Amino acid sequence: MNRYVIKFSKEGILRYISHLDLLRLFKRSFKRVGIKLLYSQGFNPHPKMSFAQPLSLGYSSTGEYLEFETTTSVPAGEILTKINSIMPEGILILSCDELTEGGKTLAALTEYADYELSIPLENSLDENVKELIDKYMHQEQIKVLKHQRKSGKDIEIDIKPLISEIDGTILDNNNKLIMLTVKLAAGSNANLSPEMILTSFFNFAEMTYDRAKVFIKRTEIYFSNN
Amino acid sequence: MKITEQLDKLLMRVEKPARYTGGEWNTAKKDPSKIKTRFGFAFPDTYEIGMSYLGLQIIYHLLNKEDSVYCERVFAPALDMEALMRTEGLPLFTLETKSEVKDLDILGFTLQYELSFSNIINMLDLGGIPYKSSERDSGDPFIAAGGPCAFNPEPLADVVDFFMLGDGEEVLIEVCALHGRWKDSGQEKEVFLKQLTQIKGVYVPKFYSPVYNDDGTIKEIIKNYEQAPDMVEKCIVEDLETVDFPVNSIVPFIEAVHDRAVVEIFRGCSRGCRFCQAGMIYRPVRERSKDKIKEIAAQQLNATGHEELSILSLSTSDHSEIEPLVKELMHICKENNVSLSLPSLRLDSFSFKVLSEIQGYKKSGLTFAPEAGTQRLRDVINKSITDHDIYHSMEQAIELGWTNIKLYFMVGLPTETFEDLDGIVEIAKNITDINYRITGKRGRFNITVSVSNFVPKAHTPFQWVPQNTAEQFREKHYYLKDRLKKIKGVSFNYHGTDASHMEAVFARGDRRVCDALIRAKELGCKFDGWREHFQYELWIKAFQETGIDPDFYAIRERSYDEILPWDLIDAGISKKFLMTENNQAISGVQSPDCRVQCIGCGINEKVNCTKEGTL
Repeated sequence: MNRYVIKFSKEGILRYISHLDLLRLFKRSFKRVGIKLLYSQGFNPHPKMSFAQPLSLGYSSTGEYLEFETTTSVPAGEILTKINSIMPEGILILSCDELTEGGKTLAALTEYADYELSIPLENSLDENVKELIDKYMHQEQIKVLKHQRKSGKDIEIDIKPLISEIDGTILDNNNKLIMLTVKLAAGSNANLSPEMILTSFFNFAEMTYDRAKVFIKRTEIYFSNN
Repeated sequence: MKITEQLDKLLMRVEKPARYTGGEWNTAKKDPSKIKTRFGFAFPDTYEIGMSYLGLQIIYHLLNKEDSVYCERVFAPALDMEALMRTEGLPLFTLETKSEVKDLDILGFTLQYELSFSNIINMLDLGGIPYKSSERDSGDPFIAAGGPCAFNPEPLADVVDFFMLGDGEEVLIEVCALHGRWKDSGQEKEVFLKQLTQIKGVYVPKFYSPVYNDDGTIKEIIKNYEQAPDMVEKCIVEDLETVDFPVNSIVPFIEAVHDRAVVEIFRGCSRGCRFCQAGMIYRPVRERSKDKIKEIAAQQLNATGHEELSILSLSTSDHSEIEPLVKELMHICKENNVSLSLPSLRLDSFSFKVLSEIQGYKKSGLTFAPEAGTQRLRDVINKSITDHDIYHSMEQAIELGWTNIKLYFMVGLPTETFEDLDGIVEIAKNITDINYRITGKRGRFNITVSVSNFVPKAHTPFQWVPQNTAEQFREKHYYLKDRLKKIKGVSFNYHGTDASHMEAVFARGDRRVCDALIRAKELGCKFDGWREHFQYELWIKAFQETGIDPDFYAIRERSYDEILPWDLIDAGISKKFLMTENNQAISGVQSPDCRVQCIGCGINEKVNCTKEGTL
C-alpha cells in the first residue's frame, strides 16, 4: 500500500471554492501529473483520497491535510514537486510524507484545530482585550444555541470544554480591529466551529461587527498519537 | 477603489463566489498594457452555463494565441451578486484582470438563445455602456455579437455595432487584426465599421435602413454605405481537420453544467429536419477524422484532468467512423478512469451495445426524440424516424434493462391536428405495453413525455409559418395531460407557453422590437430563459408601452414575397430551397438525407460538400 499525506495552504481567491470543489481540483491534479490514485472497487469506483477536516468556504488556511493512496510507489518529494507545478495561485503544497500502512484515517485522528480570526469592530473596544477574554473564560459555562440538523431545533450547549486555548490582540490604534487566536476541538468526536465562538464572544462583550468583514484562517490541525 | 478590493468585500456575501474570481487552470495571463485589442467574450448568462459552452473555449483559445489580442471572459452576475454590485457601485468586470468592461476595445456577446437578450441589455447597463450604438461615443467599446441567433440580427441591430455570422474561427482573427491596424491609424470609430464591411461574414447594421409598408411589413432595405455588401455571407471553416481546436481548455473550480472534456466530431447535419435551425445554418457537414478526435481527446484529458469525456455534434451516430471511434474512445477512457458520455445517439443496436457497456449497472434514463406523434406529421417535419424504429429500439432498451424512458415531442408544428396528439399518447401507451409484454410487470417503469412548443425560426423552411397562439398551445397541453395521466407510469411535462411566445417574437423580429426589449429590461426582465425568473406580464407591459404588437411577429403568416428582416443574411442556403422544402412539408413529402441524395440547398455552390451522396 502506498499511502501519503500532504500538507497544504489554501489562500487568496482559492478560499472561495468549497470543500467538494477542492476535492475535485485535487482529483484532476493527480490525473494531470500522471500520478495514479487507487480507486475503490464496486459499481461506483472513486479514488481513495480524503481531507482531514473540511474547511468552510471563505476561510483561508495554512494547515490543511489530504491523504490518498496511489497504485504504485512514488517518492514523496516527486509528488510534492509535481503537484506544486500545476496548482493554481492560492494553493501551495508545503510537505508530502508517506504514511504507514493501516491505521486510522486522518479524519478519525483529528483532535484540535488552530484558527486566527480578525474582526473589524463597528465601535472601539473600551476594555483590555486580554481581561475581556479572562472574564469570558471565567464563566462557569459558555452557553450557545446550536442548530440541530436532524430535529431542526436549536439546543443550548456548553462550548467551554471545547475551547482549548484562546488569546486576543488589538491590531490597530483605535481598538477596532481584534485578532482572536483559538485552539478548538475538531474532528468526529467533538467539534467546535469558530463561527460559534465568534458570536458567543462578541455577544458576551456586547460588541457588534459585520460577519462579511471577518477574516478566518485555520493555521494548524492536530492529530492524536501521530 | 480598485475592482479587486471592492470585489473581495462582496464575495463573502454571495452564493458560489468562485463564479467571479477567475484564476482557473488554463486561463490566459497577459499584461493588458502591451495589448492592442482587448476583447471581452461575453456570455449573457451565469458562469456555470457559459463555461459549459464549447464555443467559449474555442474562441478564448484562438484569440489568446494572438500576441496582440487579450480575450477575457465576462458573464452575467447572478441576481444576488447583481444587487450587491448595484448598491456598492461595482461595474461589470472581466474575470481575468478584473477590468471594467467599458475599458475593453471590443465586447463580443454570444447569442445562443433569444431569451438571453434581456441579459445583454442588463450587462451593458451594469458596465455603464449606453444600450444603443447611436448613443455610444469614442470612449465606449465596440459591441459585437455572433452565434446562431445572429442569423436574425435585427432585434439587436440598434444595440450591436457589428455581427459576425457563421463559424467564428477565422473571422475573429481577421476582425482583431483589422482592429489593431485601425487603432494604430488613430482614426474615428466610423472608419473601423466601414472597413469591417469588407470582411466576409461581418454585418454592420448601421449601414442598412429598413423602410416599412403601412401594414408593418418591410418595403425595402436601403443601404447607407455604398461599399457595404448587398447580402452578408456567413463564414465557413472548410476543414475541421486543420482548424485549431482547444486542447488546454479552462477548467472551472466550481461545478459547471457540463464539467467535461469535449471534442466536436463534426459540424453541420445532413438530415434536413425542417424545424431545425441548426441543421440549416451550420451546413455543410464537415467531419473531424477519428484519429484527430482521439488525439484531441487524449491531449484535453491530459491538460484538464477531467473525469468525463464527451463528443459533440448535431447527430453523433452520423459520423462516418462512429463505431471504431466510440470503441477507441472507450478504450482511452477506461485506461484513465474517465467516463464517456455520448449525447444524441441514434438508438440502433450498436448504440445499445455501447450504452450498456458504458452505463453498466447504473443505467441512466434513455432519451428518444420522435418530435411528432404520427408518421404523417414526421413526414411534414422531415424527421426520418418510423413507428417501427421507435418500437424496435424500445424493445431492445427494455430487454437490456432500461426502466426510465424520456420522449421528446413538439406541439404546434405546421399542419398539426389532434390526431397527431393522439399519436403521442399512443406511442407512450404502446411502450408501456411493450414493457409489460417483455417484463411481465407494470411497476418500476417510467416514461416521461416532454413537450416543447414549436417556435418557427429564421432560415428554416418554416420561417414563414405562424406560431400557435397561447390558447392553442394551452388547449393542446391540456388535451395531452388529460390523456397521458390515465396511463400508469407516464409523466408529462411541457414548456411554458409564454416564454415560447417571447422566443418566437425575437426569433423573427425586426429592428422595431429592440425598443420593447430595452423597456422590458428597465421594467426588470432578466434571465428569461430561467422559468423562475421569466416575467411575462412585464414583457407584455413593455410591448404595450412601446406600441409594438408581439403577435405581428409570432403568429402572423408571411407570404413568400414578403421581405423578411433577415433576408440580407446569406446562410449559404437559398430562399428557393427553403420554399421548396416548405411546400414539400405542406404536401407531407419527405426529402432525403443529403448523404443519400443532394436536395439542392445551395451550400455546394459556396463550398465543397463532401457528404453528398455518400450513403
